[in-house]
Amino acid sequence: MAMRMVGMALGKNVAMVVVAGCSSVIQGIGPKNAYGYPVLNIAFAAGPAAASGMWRAFKQRNKDVTVVVWAGDGGTADIGFASLSGAAERNEDFIYLCVDNEAYMNSGGQRSGSTPHGAVTTTTPEGKKENKKELLFIMLDHNIPYAATASVGYPHDLMDKLRRAKEVKGFRYIQILTPDPYGWLFDPSKTAEVGKLAVQTCYWPLIEVVNGKVRISNESLHCLKKETRRPLKDFLSVQGRYKKLSEKDYEELEKFVDDLWERILSMIS
Amino acid sequence: MKIISGNEAVALAVKLARVGVVGIYPITPQTTIIEELAEMKAKGEISTDVVRVESEHSAMGVTLGAAVSGVRAFTATSSQGLLYMHEMVWWAAGSRAPIVMVVATRAVGAPWNIWNENTDFMSERDSGWIMAFASSPQEALDLTLQAFRISEDPRVFVPMMVGMDGFILSHTKTNVYIPSQEDVDTFLPPRRQPYVIDPETQESMGNIFQPVHYMKLRQSINEAIVGAKDVISEVGREYEKVNPLADYKTLNVEYKLDDAEYAVVTMGAWSLDAMEAVDRLRERGVPVGLYRVRYIRPWAEEEIERALGDKKGVIVFDRATSLGRGGPLYLEMRASLNNPVKGVIAGLGGVSMNKKDFMDAISRSLEEIRRGDIKDVTWYYPGEVKEVELGTPRSAI
Repeated sequence: MAMRMVGMALGKNVAMVVVAGCSSVIQGIGPKNAYGYPVLNIAFAAGPAAASGMWRAFKQRNKDVTVVVWAGDGGTADIGFASLSGAAERNEDFIYLCVDNEAYMNSGGQRSGSTPHGAVTTTTPEGKKENKKELLFIMLDHNIPYAATASVGYPHDLMDKLRRAKEVKGFRYIQILTPDPYGWLFDPSKTAEVGKLAVQTCYWPLIEVVNGKVRISNESLHCLKKETRRPLKDFLSVQGRYKKLSEKDYEELEKFVDDLWERILSMIS
Repeated sequence: MKIISGNEAVALAVKLARVGVVGIYPITPQTTIIEELAEMKAKGEISTDVVRVESEHSAMGVTLGAAVSGVRAFTATSSQGLLYMHEMVWWAAGSRAPIVMVVATRAVGAPWNIWNENTDFMSERDSGWIMAFASSPQEALDLTLQAFRISEDPRVFVPMMVGMDGFILSHTKTNVYIPSQEDVDTFLPPRRQPYVIDPETQESMGNIFQPVHYMKLRQSINEAIVGAKDVISEVGREYEKVNPLADYKTLNVEYKLDDAEYAVVTMGAWSLDAMEAVDRLRERGVPVGLYRVRYIRPWAEEEIERALGDKKGVIVFDRATSLGRGGPLYLEMRASLNNPVKGVIAGLGGVSMNKKDFMDAISRSLEEIRRGDIKDVTWYYPGEVKEVELGTPRSAI
């Protein structure tokens, strides 16, 4: 779903880097691919470095090409993080998309640094003990010109952000929440709905920071006040991965959401 | 002519080759190559895009990303850096991306050791790169320039790495002939490569291949490397127009072998010490010559058989190990030759070997060969460190 929206939003002059993940597989057998873009598939940890070389090569050849990295949350939060952080610090001129399904889904659903507290994965059968890594804030701390979050539940918001990111020069980071029916354990027909619930319950913020200026999408404005947030359990209860959630785990997740919005509030005040 | 170090010579070669993008990361003893490039960039002497990345893995990532997007690309590394980069070294070969890398060799930890040894370089010999090894700063410059031409030749389209001994070549200043920019421009045609990532062509690289296509791709790389022998000789002859003093018609180099009954095989800088030892031994009537390996990949099987096939014995010096088996050069030579081959491992981790040490090691090896009782591989310690007590962690308790 997210890949389709990227294609719709970014237009033709795009070259993609795809790191290890299900997107390396679903594009089909080489030497062609199903994405309609030139694609460099590359080792798990090498996406941001390869993209750094690519846009510089296009510049040397006087070609106006938007370079886009497509990576999962494992490739972003864990194995590819040094490369990502280095490229962000150098303010490399490309768009980095983190497709966040909150686990290593291509290899069958193992926990990643981006898996939330309490979620059952194949390597945390008792539920993950630690909180999700706060990638958005970590990337913002690199002082990059553009950072945003989006959800496949709100495609127009995502495509608007992609279009705006395309106009910015320098390092651009967009983290897209992409609910995974097989890892999160819900019916595939509910994917968009789960993506919406994540936003409505304020588990997942829709925000955008352009050169330090924070913009919160209309869909997330109600999250600024605790009283107007939809209860978190509406998002958690539709997923099988939270089946072992204790009362304490639930409180931990609620606190995670409270802290998240407190931090966003501190950014706009 | 200019008195410069091996690292300075390599940086000059990169400048003369008009490289588009370099991904750089510091590691001793390669670092002064990238410092030199950064200096050239700051002075406006090169239009190369110098990318100061955060690791060697990313250095090769940037270099590969630039190479597949259509520009000449270069990087350099050593030791731990090469090992950290290992995954991307293989990815570059599988991508058939013309790339040039220089490795200033150094021992691999643990324990920490910054001194010279060739095991880091030799450990990449299964990766699918063309691999040459220099024996002087001049050769480091020459081979780096030739590497661009060889790897960008449509009959090859395989990346190429050039090794040189850390410190001994990388930091020692000698007289080097610097080719003119005009001659290099004539020698190096514009960038050629098999695939270019470009929205106009929509090429896709690296996605999943069916097993049989994957195997065919691996075979095509194998054939390209084997076939590169002709290209290397051709480029070597062509290079005489760039450096009239150069001799690169053959992959490897013979020294006083014609009338020799025994041969010494070496690679890299210590070949010159070994040549002096050969001279002294010949003065004493020992019929010995020397064969210097310049190319590890492709392996010059035919040249080697011609040069060494009729010798009564071949003594191979390795400054590298395949622990538990012997030195990599020794193993390659044993696979190529039917006559007696003796292996000597020496000079690891910076242990110094001079002319006398070579004379001693060669003489001892000759005794074994003449007796017909060859101990396959000897670990040779020179001079004062000859008596070394080997202990294991267990025996120390």
